[in-house]
Amino acid sequence: MRPKSKNNKTLTAILLIAPFIVCYLVVFAYPVYKMFAMSFTDAPLIGEGDWVGLENYVRMFQHKLFYTSVYNTLYFVGLTVVPNTLIGLGIAMMIVRLNGMVQAGILILFFMPYILPVTVVTQIWQWVLDQQFGVAQPLIEAVTGKRISVFRDPLWAMPMVALITIWWTNGFNVLLFISALRNIPTDYYEAASLDGATRMQQFRRITWPLLWPVTALVLTLQLIMQLKIFDQIYLMTQGGPFNSTYVLLQLVYREAFGRNQGGYASAVAVALFVLIVAVSILQYQLLKARGKS
Amino acid sequence: MSGVSLSNIKKAYGPIDVIHDVNIKVEQGEFVVFVGPSGCGKSTLLRMIAGLEETTGGTIDIEGVDVTHLEAAKRGVSMVFQSYALYPHLSVFDNMAFSMQIARRPKDEIKQKVDEAARILQLEDHLDRKPSQLSGGQRQRVAIGRAIVRQPKVFLFDEPLSNLDAELRVQMRMEIARLHNQIGATMIYVTHDQVEAMTLADKIVVLKSGSVQQIGSPLDLYDNPDNQFVAGFIGSPKMNFLKGIVNEPRVDGKITITLDDAPNTTFDITSGSATLNAGDAVTVGIRPENIGLEHDETVGPTVLLKPEFTEELGGVSYIHTQTKDGVRVTIERRSERNRIDQEDLQVTLPVRDLFLFDADGARLR
Repeated sequence: MRPKSKNNKTLTAILLIAPFIVCYLVVFAYPVYKMFAMSFTDAPLIGEGDWVGLENYVRMFQHKLFYTSVYNTLYFVGLTVVPNTLIGLGIAMMIVRLNGMVQAGILILFFMPYILPVTVVTQIWQWVLDQQFGVAQPLIEAVTGKRISVFRDPLWAMPMVALITIWWTNGFNVLLFISALRNIPTDYYEAASLDGATRMQQFRRITWPLLWPVTALVLTLQLIMQLKIFDQIYLMTQGGPFNSTYVLLQLVYREAFGRNQGGYASAVAVALFVLIVAVSILQYQLLKARGKS
Repeated sequence: MSGVSLSNIKKAYGPIDVIHDVNIKVEQGEFVVFVGPSGCGKSTLLRMIAGLEETTGGTIDIEGVDVTHLEAAKRGVSMVFQSYALYPHLSVFDNMAFSMQIARRPKDEIKQKVDEAARILQLEDHLDRKPSQLSGGQRQRVAIGRAIVRQPKVFLFDEPLSNLDAELRVQMRMEIARLHNQIGATMIYVTHDQVEAMTLADKIVVLKSGSVQQIGSPLDLYDNPDNQFVAGFIGSPKMNFLKGIVNEPRVDGKITITLDDAPNTTFDITSGSATLNAGDAVTVGIRPENIGLEHDETVGPTVLLKPEFTEELGGVSYIHTQTKDGVRVTIERRSERNRIDQEDLQVTLPVRDLFLFDADGARLR
């Protein structure tokens, strides 16, 4: 009897996980495999191609726009990941000191941009930063002495895209930090203040170390998300001016959908994949080591 | 010199007063316990002394210095929290050294003081561990160690034993008592457990709804409670209360009372108050150990009780009974072990052991 009931159980288990396995294989594993395979062929966007070995990769490393895209992607990551995390922490620490309805209200205000679709976000900011009518232009004028069409200025375009991205996504980080801050018992702060710790010392010796696991998580999530930057740039600058905002995913998009070079686009996508895996593993290891010491 | 003195202390949250005009004097080196039911304001009062809560009115004085508006760190007090509040990311050593590291004391001094506290509390082998690797009792000791290292003028304990299991609680109670003898510092201890209060305190402060009910030594409160609340709160099992009515006040200070549960017997009792009139309601109190199981009308009134169940604890047993009106009465019995809870009991309440309270709970005798 026993083997039979065990077989039944196994069968049930297989039946229950089958829908997931099928979905995973069909819409994730197979396309990923296909992408790797395609990167070694000269396939167009649709249809099969011939095996060309490493030719796509050789071409990629000789392609100037590829290096520009890598540089711009890393530049964007540098402009967003750490600032976004620190700003999120700062805002969370201010919000967490408020009480009741006020706290909920302010939190909603900071979280609201996060629920907006990217098209709305870019529309809002194109309006805010418009050279002629933008409400932010007087501020820019006050600082630089002249009005600037920020999305047409190679110096300004990427930092502005970064600023908008931070504005858009920061609410989520605030939320993560607030829940982490609420998990720190007030007793710790009371004990520390009896011990004579100033606010700064309390932050350095209690809040920061206890928050570190969440900070590491936020940093890693940010890193992965920002390496995949595409929508904002596609909607606002299309990589311009003078390729100053050209990023890796956009290169993939251009090669695949603009120039019908499926094989080459796959090779660039593989490069982005390798970059994301390498950087995030490196970062996570670094953060873990720091947390332990 | 007084260790801590509270004068006319008040605390209000908005329009709600939670502490009303509290006056307490704690001598230097004294062990004082604040005791009361939950919500009586005892923890709030302790946190006001620590400087963690603002004081709405009155003055707090520590060793002759008015600290009412001084920040917590400058009051020279240490507090042991109910949750221990040990920093989970720091080792036991760093937890205990925290205050001195904050004050940037030299490393050798920190090490010497932490080692000494660890020796007193038998924590020497655990200094490298994290709090999560310690047992409840050890964590409690680390929390105390953190307080000792600061060498405060006053130690404050906020229900420090309530997270421990019963056996450990008794053990830690003794350790705290021993610690007090050893370092002789002023200690203020908050608990809702009157047994803890009775066993630890030099002086007990009983609080109820933000007011002091009575201050005195443990036995003082037991033998001479000021009111029905203190009488009922101190002592385990609790004092029994029976309602009665004044028959007639007599001029020589004696009054005659009829108990609701024994309408056929009256008894005379001396009362300190001359304001009672015939027909006034009174409450008669008697401790479980004073109820006589033999019927003897010459020493006091007798009451018929219906036993419900008996707790046999070996040396002592408690018989839980009800009067015919359903008032619960507990009787303590020592040494004799024959079961007597099968039939109704006619018990005697010796007049010399009776307490008398008026309708508002104030003590008359």
